[in-house]
Amino acid sequence: MIDQSPLTQVMSSVNTANGLPNEHYVDPLVFEQEKRSVLFANWSGVGFGKDIPEAGDAKPFDFLGMPLLAVRDRDGSVGVFQNTCRHRGMILVDQPRNIAGAIRCPYHSWCYGLDGKLRATPHVGGPGQNTHEDVDPEKLGLFRIRSHVWRDVIFVNVDCKAPAFEQVHASLIARWSEFDQPVHHGGQTSSLQLTVKANWKLAVENYCESYHLPWVHPGLNTYSRLEDHYNIEERGAFSGQGTLVYRQLTDDQGTTFPDFKGLGRQWDEGAEYIAVYPNVLIGVQRDHSHVIILQPIDCETTVEHIELYYAQTAQQTPDLANLRATNAQMWKSVFEEDVFVVEGMQKGRHGDMFDGGRFSPVMDSPTHNFHHWVASQIEQGRVA
Amino acid sequence: MDEALQDAYDRDDIDALIRLYTSAADAAEDRHEIDAACFYLTHAFIFALERGAPEAAALNLRLADRGRSHLLGL
Repeated sequence: MIDQSPLTQVMSSVNTANGLPNEHYVDPLVFEQEKRSVLFANWSGVGFGKDIPEAGDAKPFDFLGMPLLAVRDRDGSVGVFQNTCRHRGMILVDQPRNIAGAIRCPYHSWCYGLDGKLRATPHVGGPGQNTHEDVDPEKLGLFRIRSHVWRDVIFVNVDCKAPAFEQVHASLIARWSEFDQPVHHGGQTSSLQLTVKANWKLAVENYCESYHLPWVHPGLNTYSRLEDHYNIEERGAFSGQGTLVYRQLTDDQGTTFPDFKGLGRQWDEGAEYIAVYPNVLIGVQRDHSHVIILQPIDCETTVEHIELYYAQTAQQTPDLANLRATNAQMWKSVFEEDVFVVEGMQKGRHGDMFDGGRFSPVMDSPTHNFHHWVASQIEQGRVA
Repeated sequence: MDEALQDAYDRDDIDALIRLYTSAADAAEDRHEIDAACFYLTHAFIFALERGAPEAAALNLRLADRGRSHLLGL
């Protein structure tokens, strides 16, 4: 039985609210509750389209213990299925690979198309008899998980009850409409991964506020001062921070990355970093973008999958390979500087007397916005 | 035949498995051993389907003609 702490204090004004109570960071039972009410009930990021670039590419994902399989179909679309055979529940694909024809279960060889339809049931009616009147292929396709790809992120809504992705995130899609153009992954050096001993929410909370920048990222603060940042908040959808002094990376010859096309003047030195609730963090800048999917492993462990994207492909700009590697190293340093704070906050939440903390009414409103949203999702889950 | 099949399995040689099971099916058909033929055809078909091999359509048709498979329209 979970202690159903009232979350009204979390959902009050940022001036008087407390943050989420400790159990939301340290209690496995609450983690399980949040899995259903927060992560399965909304559009969560689970993977990247760039990992399945070709028709037939398939990649298994573990999402909070649920086995998923992302597949690139012949028409280029991405489908996500439960990676479980409808016969005996065997895992279908255990390693990323290309499916030339059909997904064949390694146990009894039931076969599925890239669209999840059941295509063959060998010997189901006895040796050499591949049909049976009580086994209807039309009813035994793979369970399709509701999915949507945006900015190369594969989002899934496991419980199938959330409104459409475009509806939930209409405001953010409109806000970043100028960036609604192809993004190209920077290649191997542009993929980073960090494992942090912290609850996934702490990574969201740290990402979406600028309050910590001068203290935790003093290198950034030499040109990007606290007063050059602004809060971004949309109740019930997203929050983050923006900067007014984004500076492009250059090499010794002054080379920069090509810009995304047609951007307005505000993006010359502007950039925004937004937590797309629940678990995707996206930064947009004139010349590149980063995406972080937070993969909750357990209550106190999270893997951060960090990917960098550009306006042009690596094949189009081979001369920028070194600059891309330098850029990746720069971001790695920044994100690594954050590890001690998210892990420190995790340890701090084992202090029994911590009450969720008090926010700066001015600086912490993006974090409070996230807490408010998480609390509202949990309250909805309790009612359901 | 058994040795050749085992060798193909050991080498994960799907093309060889399709070929060997098809040959086994043909031989069984020649002996009028239809159940055995359909057993072998099933294996040849499944591997061809998995592989996306062009033989899959004909193998599926042979099984469907004998009422042993749904016709997939490959």
